[in-house]
Amino acid sequence: MKKFMMMFAIVMILFLAACGSGENNGKGQNGEIVITTTTGQIADAVTNVGGDLVEVEALMGPGVDPHLYQATQSDIRKLGNADMIFYNGLHLEGNMGDILEQIDSEKPTKAVANGLPDDQLQQDMENPNEVDPHIWFDLDLWALVVNYIADELSEFSPENEEIFRENAENYQEELEELKTYAEDELATIPDESRILVTAHDAFGYFATAFDFEVIGIQGLSTDSDYGVADIQDIVSVLVDHEVKAVFTESSVSERAMESVIEGAERRGQEVTIGGELFSDAMGEEGTEQGTYIGMFKHNIDVIVSSLK
Amino acid sequence: MSYEMWIILTGSLVGVTCGTIGCLLIIRKMAMLSDGISHTVLLGIVLAYLISQSLSSIYMLIGALIIGMLTAFLVQFLYNRGIHTDASIGIVFTSLFALGVFLVSIYARQVHLDIDHVLMGEITFVPWNRLTLFGVDLGPQAVWMLGTVLVINTVILIIFYEPIKISSFDPVLATALGINVVFIHYLLMGMVSLSIVASFESVGSILVVTMLIVPGATAYLMTKRLSTMIAVSAMVGILGSVVGYAIAYWFDVSIAGAMSVALGLIFAIVFILQLIIKKMYQRSHRGKIHVT
Repeated sequence: MKKFMMMFAIVMILFLAACGSGENNGKGQNGEIVITTTTGQIADAVTNVGGDLVEVEALMGPGVDPHLYQATQSDIRKLGNADMIFYNGLHLEGNMGDILEQIDSEKPTKAVANGLPDDQLQQDMENPNEVDPHIWFDLDLWALVVNYIADELSEFSPENEEIFRENAENYQEELEELKTYAEDELATIPDESRILVTAHDAFGYFATAFDFEVIGIQGLSTDSDYGVADIQDIVSVLVDHEVKAVFTESSVSERAMESVIEGAERRGQEVTIGGELFSDAMGEEGTEQGTYIGMFKHNIDVIVSSLK
Repeated sequence: MSYEMWIILTGSLVGVTCGTIGCLLIIRKMAMLSDGISHTVLLGIVLAYLISQSLSSIYMLIGALIIGMLTAFLVQFLYNRGIHTDASIGIVFTSLFALGVFLVSIYARQVHLDIDHVLMGEITFVPWNRLTLFGVDLGPQAVWMLGTVLVINTVILIIFYEPIKISSFDPVLATALGINVVFIHYLLMGMVSLSIVASFESVGSILVVTMLIVPGATAYLMTKRLSTMIAVSAMVGILGSVVGYAIAYWFDVSIAGAMSVALGLIFAIVFILQLIIKKMYQRSHRGKIHVT
């Protein structure tokens, strides 16, 4: 018993000693503003607006679904050391949203969805009570988000306001180009084929912006299970509209999709998996799909090549 | 206090609270009841939401507490009618949990009320979920909540220590001595539910189930005295959260997960040591017999 107590005391002391060191707060190496974001999309936008003046880290890395995100130890440092935090809002972050609201009293912690006018937000397709949080699939909304980020950064660091504004404008031009590209490409898809069947309905804004009909198998959250009735409904739609392809997502399993394809085949409708779309998560860092624009382009190309 | 210290403190509070309660469950051979209750509270949370239409944690706490008690009551009810404890826990917990899932998928689909999200406090975010009264920042909410539960548990345990001990080891003797065994049972179940719900809110389900069973089981290997067992169990709980935090820091993983792993490791080490000590004791004993 005594030995146990001794061991216990020693471990505790060693640990506390190890803990005490290695605390550094705020400010990056060259005086950058340290910013933590929840999703990769927001991190990308902040990087584009802030340029060299910011150091950005995302809590949810490539391939991590916000609905299934699990915090790790380093997230404490990321949240604790940041000068500013940006998150999506509209309940995308689940319960973490409450925590983030509380952190706002300590340091600027902003939901980018605050930068959007209410009338531009749309209801979730399945649940009329809830606002669809997947705002990054509407390029116009995303341009507003970029503005909002520029506003908030300027408030934090007024002396750099001009740089932020200029960066934001340049980036918005890129988004505008992307929009033209998307419209031109998607125009090649005949009207009757404009049906997007995906594993979960993250594409509501996309559908409105580019005049698609979206059908998701699972509900809003990737967590909820799909019902047998859902699958049968979708199979019927596939057969009725002669849909050529369905899409998988980087953050959702293929199992549900496969049962849909099988069901359609049994009823004589040949359906292929059109390819992988990025929905909640972006691609690996360093690749083209690891940026917001690259990810969006990838989605457009995949959709066009399989539905044309 | 740094963020790290708050998290370790929270983990330790869960360790002590659940470690203590866990001992009482283990000597009553009801360890699995903690697993059961930690699932059935979902039903309580869902019902609380459906009735109050709010996601506020006070309603959820009350709902969870009531269903926790109901679980204990139903298990006891079935047991009294001749079904073994393990079987009756299995029956009650799966059906109440299933009812909870059922209700979520019918009524609460819109809300982010999926099992993971409601139940999951996340220990990583504890330092930021603060309690402010009259504009004064009093530190993390979880620490206050767990601290309160710990005080309540300790007071009950001190007042009712003898009756709890006797009725756990020998219910017949306890009844003969005039102890209200049924009251003690539900008192204990109330403590279990309260501890589970409070810990759930703060640190999430994995860690709660681990903390309820593993420290007590480890302590049970080392001693057979209830008072010592409770003390050792509480210390194992603290040790687990400290070592677990170190593991989480090292590998940059989920803190609650790492603490559970640490507790598993502690149990394994104690188990092996205890085997070795037993072997050595037997050998030296045999040797003595040979000599004389």
